[in-house]
Amino acid sequence: MSDVLERISKAVVVGDEDAIAKLTRAALDEGLSAKEILDGGLMPGMDYVGAEFKAGRMFVPEVLLSARTMKGSMAALEPLLAAGESIAVGKAIMGTVEGDLHDIGKNLVAMMMEGAGFQVIDLGVDVAPDAFVASVKKEKPDIVGMSALLTTTMRNMGRTIDALKEAGLRDQVRVMVGGAPVTADFARQIGADGTASSAPAAVDLAKGLLGLA
Amino acid sequence: MRVNYQINTTPQFRILSDDQIEEIFFATLEVLRQTGVRVYQEEAVELLRENGAYVTDDTLVRFPASLVEEAVAMAPTRIVVAGRDRSRKITLEKDHVFFGTGSDCPFIRDPYTNERRRYTYKDSYNAARIADSLPHIDFYMPLGLTSDVPIGTYDRHQFLASLQGVTKPLVVTAVDREGLADQYYMACEVVGGEEAFQNEPLFVIYIEPSSPLENTKDATEKVLFAAEKNIPAIITPCPSAGGTAPATMAGILVQALAECLSGIVIAQLQNPGAPVIMGGVVTIIDMLTTIYSYGAPELTLLSAGLTEISKWLGLPMFSTAGCTDAKTVDQQAAIEGAISIAVAALSGASLIHDVGYIESGLVGSYDMLVMSNEIIGLVKRIMGGIPVDEETLAVDVIARVGPGGHFLGEKHTLRHFREFWLPELIDRTKVDDWEAAGSKTLGVRVHEKVIKLIETYEPEPIPKDVENRLKDIIAQADERHKAEEKVALA
Repeated sequence: MSDVLERISKAVVVGDEDAIAKLTRAALDEGLSAKEILDGGLMPGMDYVGAEFKAGRMFVPEVLLSARTMKGSMAALEPLLAAGESIAVGKAIMGTVEGDLHDIGKNLVAMMMEGAGFQVIDLGVDVAPDAFVASVKKEKPDIVGMSALLTTTMRNMGRTIDALKEAGLRDQVRVMVGGAPVTADFARQIGADGTASSAPAAVDLAKGLLGLA
Repeated sequence: MRVNYQINTTPQFRILSDDQIEEIFFATLEVLRQTGVRVYQEEAVELLRENGAYVTDDTLVRFPASLVEEAVAMAPTRIVVAGRDRSRKITLEKDHVFFGTGSDCPFIRDPYTNERRRYTYKDSYNAARIADSLPHIDFYMPLGLTSDVPIGTYDRHQFLASLQGVTKPLVVTAVDREGLADQYYMACEVVGGEEAFQNEPLFVIYIEPSSPLENTKDATEKVLFAAEKNIPAIITPCPSAGGTAPATMAGILVQALAECLSGIVIAQLQNPGAPVIMGGVVTIIDMLTTIYSYGAPELTLLSAGLTEISKWLGLPMFSTAGCTDAKTVDQQAAIEGAISIAVAALSGASLIHDVGYIESGLVGSYDMLVMSNEIIGLVKRIMGGIPVDEETLAVDVIARVGPGGHFLGEKHTLRHFREFWLPELIDRTKVDDWEAAGSKTLGVRVHEKVIKLIETYEPEPIPKDVENRLKDIIAQADERHKAEEKVALA
């Protein structure tokens, strides 16, 4: 492994946001491609972080810092890609459903998915079914993620899936739902493709749905 | 003559000094002035603007200190709530402590099969009956979220299940303003009209701002309706340190207080003197699992701190204890339940809720409730302190028995031994008796009591004519909501 890729990996692990842009430039100056930097530097760093987190040796704020560091490098790489080329492993749109303002779970999943190499478009909170539909049309994501904390607003996940069906878009995306009151049975019943009980499990689910795991 | 003699009739407990509380309050006023709070309800925003709040962006409200301080001064320091049995009263005033359940857990562990499933109407009724029977549970919140009824009106159904099962004072939740109004009119049927309710409310309404620093439309409309009808309103944010609030203990208290006071100001502007209760389930987000912890020592520490702030402000307090992150009622549940109950009692909070929560508030457990009742009994004995006077100092008795004797036959012993706390489920038997009785752990004994209560306890029924009127109100609500699409909850 080239020295600069190793340093990129380390910067991701320790969350050195200041160093990452400079290291990324240095790697490009050495003639490495965006994909080589991603596969040889950024992803090994995030894989290590993921394993440490699962082992209980790294904690959420540290994982998020690593994910943000990785995003810093990706921002430097993206302008160099040819039109239509992407280094993201997949694209997801995410939002808290209509009537619900609780978003920490959704934000956490979004950040962890970014850390796993996904491009995530965050639609925010109180997102109406129509807004999900419009975003699917515009962004053409692989995954639609919906979140709700309240049992009363959970129903809007089903309504959003119905809206996707009506718009003829349901088959073009995989739908993930989450939130404390959501169960696997509920997810199945409303026609979602899956649910997960934590942010890391949601990342695994997303990878699984896209055949990446 | 004697001087400088001080009596502690109860234990004394402090976490924050007055100076520290004042500093937290000043920081809160600064947050309310500088950052402000979002209020997503036009009527309330207008009310705030007319009264000197600085509103930008239609919903961002910044509060001058005077507005906050006037609201706190206007709010009553004392609230009396009475159950369906009107003699079952709780008096919410400084350092008078009452325990009760928490509300709306989506799941139950089936008491017979242990299956984790959603709460039914019957489960809600059973939870209410169990709470009714337990002497140390002073008020009842509907422990489970009733899921086999129309979801848009579940709160009214759940309220009826509570009324059927328990005659104690209630704390209720509501879907929205209309749900609160329906429950209010149901309560008025029970107590004999609006004036009777206002004099002695049957329930307190639980209202939750969204952390950080937001009041939803529904939450704000509940605040407005409650104030208008003098329904005591708990304003209880649920921030998590490091997640939806600062990671520091003082920082999360500042934010929780700001959220709470924003609701209290709205209530006091709507109806000066409206009864309000400070609240806050103030805990950490676990940084490995991201759960909102109901068993963390920080929850207990912060709840006591916030209670001390409420007493300093002169407001009744809604606190939290008797809950756990354990998935079942095991040793962890006992530790987290006992410590939180003891400290919450010491803190002097008025309403201490969430007794019976397991799995971080996702499961409402009958077993946790019954075990906690035993813990509260034990803790109450400690809260009784040590009375010191001529009779209790017992110098004469000690002289009579003298060195080497015993006290078992003394009249003094007869007069006082019944003050000892007598456990019901905690075991003190000799080992051979314990083995002969089946070597049962506390958990087993608790569960046996749960089953016995489910199968035998009969609450005082609601008079049939009243119950029919309550069902009419619910039927009308269901009718209004029948057009709503119904997705059953699996």
